[in-house]
Amino acid sequence: MSTSAPPATAAAPGEGRRPRRSRLGRRVPPVVWFFLLVPLAVELFWVFWPALNSFWLSTTTWGGVGVAEPVGTANYERLLADPIFRTALWNNVLWVFGFGGLSVVGGLALAVALNQPRRFVGVYRTVIFLPMVISMAVTGLFWRIVYAPGGPVNNTLELVGLGHLQQQWLANPDTALGAVLVAAVWRQVGYIMVLYLAGLKGCDPSLEEAAAVDGANAWQRFWRVVMPQLAGVNTVIFAITVIDSLRTFDIVWVMTRGGPFNQSQLLSTYMFEQAFSYVNLGYASAIAVVIFALAILFIITYVARQARAEEDDL
Amino acid sequence: MNHSSPFGITRRNLLLGSAGLAGSAVLTGCVGAGAGPAAQPSTGTGGGTPAEVAREVVLQSNMQDAGPRQALADVIGGVSDFDVTINTVATSQFRAQLPTYLTSNQAPDVLTWYAGSVTNSFAEEGLLYDVSELWESGNASGFSDALKDLSTYDGRQYFVPTNYYWWALFHRTSSFEEWGVSAVETWDEFMGLLDNLQTRGVAPLTTGLANNAWMAAAWFDYLDLRVNGADFHRELLAGQHSFNSDEVRAVMARYAEILPYFHPDSLSWDPQQAAAPIARNEAAMYLVGTFATAYWPEDQQSDLDFFSVPTIDPSIPSAEEAPTDGFMVAANARNPEGGKAVADYLASAAAQQEFIEKAVSPNLPTHPDVDTAGFSPLIQKGLELLNGTDQITQFFNRDSNDELQGTADTALMRFINAPGDVDVILADWQTAAEQVFSQ
Repeated sequence: MSTSAPPATAAAPGEGRRPRRSRLGRRVPPVVWFFLLVPLAVELFWVFWPALNSFWLSTTTWGGVGVAEPVGTANYERLLADPIFRTALWNNVLWVFGFGGLSVVGGLALAVALNQPRRFVGVYRTVIFLPMVISMAVTGLFWRIVYAPGGPVNNTLELVGLGHLQQQWLANPDTALGAVLVAAVWRQVGYIMVLYLAGLKGCDPSLEEAAAVDGANAWQRFWRVVMPQLAGVNTVIFAITVIDSLRTFDIVWVMTRGGPFNQSQLLSTYMFEQAFSYVNLGYASAIAVVIFALAILFIITYVARQARAEEDDL
Repeated sequence: MNHSSPFGITRRNLLLGSAGLAGSAVLTGCVGAGAGPAAQPSTGTGGGTPAEVAREVVLQSNMQDAGPRQALADVIGGVSDFDVTINTVATSQFRAQLPTYLTSNQAPDVLTWYAGSVTNSFAEEGLLYDVSELWESGNASGFSDALKDLSTYDGRQYFVPTNYYWWALFHRTSSFEEWGVSAVETWDEFMGLLDNLQTRGVAPLTTGLANNAWMAAAWFDYLDLRVNGADFHRELLAGQHSFNSDEVRAVMARYAEILPYFHPDSLSWDPQQAAAPIARNEAAMYLVGTFATAYWPEDQQSDLDFFSVPTIDPSIPSAEEAPTDGFMVAANARNPEGGKAVADYLASAAAQQEFIEKAVSPNLPTHPDVDTAGFSPLIQKGLELLNGTDQITQFFNRDSNDELQGTADTALMRFINAPGDVDVILADWQTAAEQVFSQ
């Protein structure tokens, strides 16, 4: 039965004796300010300064040699006219929904299925989480072999009589992005599963039991009782998924390098190519700013809404 | 109990967090921004007496393959006047970091690089040390005029070529004997050979186009050399002709003729894998540079042979692709005179001889005094090929730049996927090329 007697109330008496307001109002000793200033300075120098530099670079043209020439908004105008950028942007939209959607749905389904006590459940969880410990680059190399012309995917299709579906998955412009997506989801799904498992462990089973007694079916219990309790986990997973999908780079670079003819290019790979293969640092910075704006747009809208919802609850 | 923020997310944290995100998303800018002209040196203590500095030479190398890397180390071991430190960096990283190396206040003294436009662009920025003296009285004084031309910018020399290699159609002698075919010289004979091999169930041609499909440019280069000649090719790559022209259309028409003869899996192979079907006798020929001979097994090395891409128009002067490698000295080096001396040593006949004998891939010497009698028959034949040709080019990216190579990769892969769309593809290629040239 329920062993999770609310710990917050148990801890409250000891904690509650201390008057909260006065602690906030108490003067903070200068040495504390000093200790706070050190990380602030580090953060300003290593994070904010380079970030601002990148915004500035995006309004210049710079080949890494000599002085950067200011060009105003020319880089952004070039972005609008650049067919490869349009492909990359569209691919990135597909990627956010495909990668995010599939890994969240898959991870949640696996977490729910493996949350019940069953035989070997630990083994299953471990096996599904295992790809996560492999680096993206190695995952990419592994899946390149899987997709190779005489590789396991094509051989399996042949074996089950679907030989006409065989193709060069990574060389075909219609399948390349999807093939990379499957590999990326294969790795991500275990991670999302573990996060949801942690969330599910934190759910109060007595609530579900009570709902069952009141006649709610499994579907209703899951959506009306369990899901609301996972709101916090959802916020974290949303943020992680959006950030992960916008920064996806290594697996695409290893598997296709954005090819064939840029059909699997993402913003990150295109930025890398412009910055480090062609050394167009101004133009690459403009792409970086777009990635940044997209990430901010997604995250701020969602998380700010979540935060407001939580404040309304208080 | 409300379910408020087990993860502690509030609006304030969120704003701080998103500011942090800004940093990570655009951190690349910081790398470049730190390398401006006013940047302080990031490495090097700046210490040492003048005499010590004069003895120290840093050689920045992109020879990452085991054979050439060891060969370079062995050759450098023979330098007695200087203490040479070799830093080996993977080519892709070397390429990306090269502007940073050269603009640093304590640049490496001597650096490996490619002859031609890619080096001249640094000379134009004033980042390279003038090595004309080596061409007047040093080891380079005996090099051919073609090599001197390739190393000259604005009347002065900034490059010391030490070896070069060639591209050709590589195949196995024993396989050709087994199939009863032989090397050909004209385009009609070549098409006949392709047909003949295909009817035997052998894939006539292979190549490796996975990932970055730069290999596709090899055939483009050669077909352009055969159809329009080396002069047109160089001018095309310098932006003086349009890719959307009848001349280039004629090149693509030839490309379309040979497309059906490629092993279909070429699209999924990298340049290394493309050698495997030839080793297994399932494919016949591979247009590739001599570096690729290392992709074949040891016991097939002596079986490898090659012939030049056949003539299409006999009125066009013959031309071959022979990328030239060598060394340049940084203007910002601590010890540029030392760097120049080491480059001179590396250009000497003895050093070239030792390097070529120890490096696994077949390279040709630039010094006329190198005794080639002891080199393998393949290298002898390569020398003969290049000595007998009228004109020499390098490779698409070396004759232009990496960004134009990117436009070629895109256009050629689209073409290989849909040869019928050639008009649209060439128009788009020209648009992309104009963007590159406008910078």
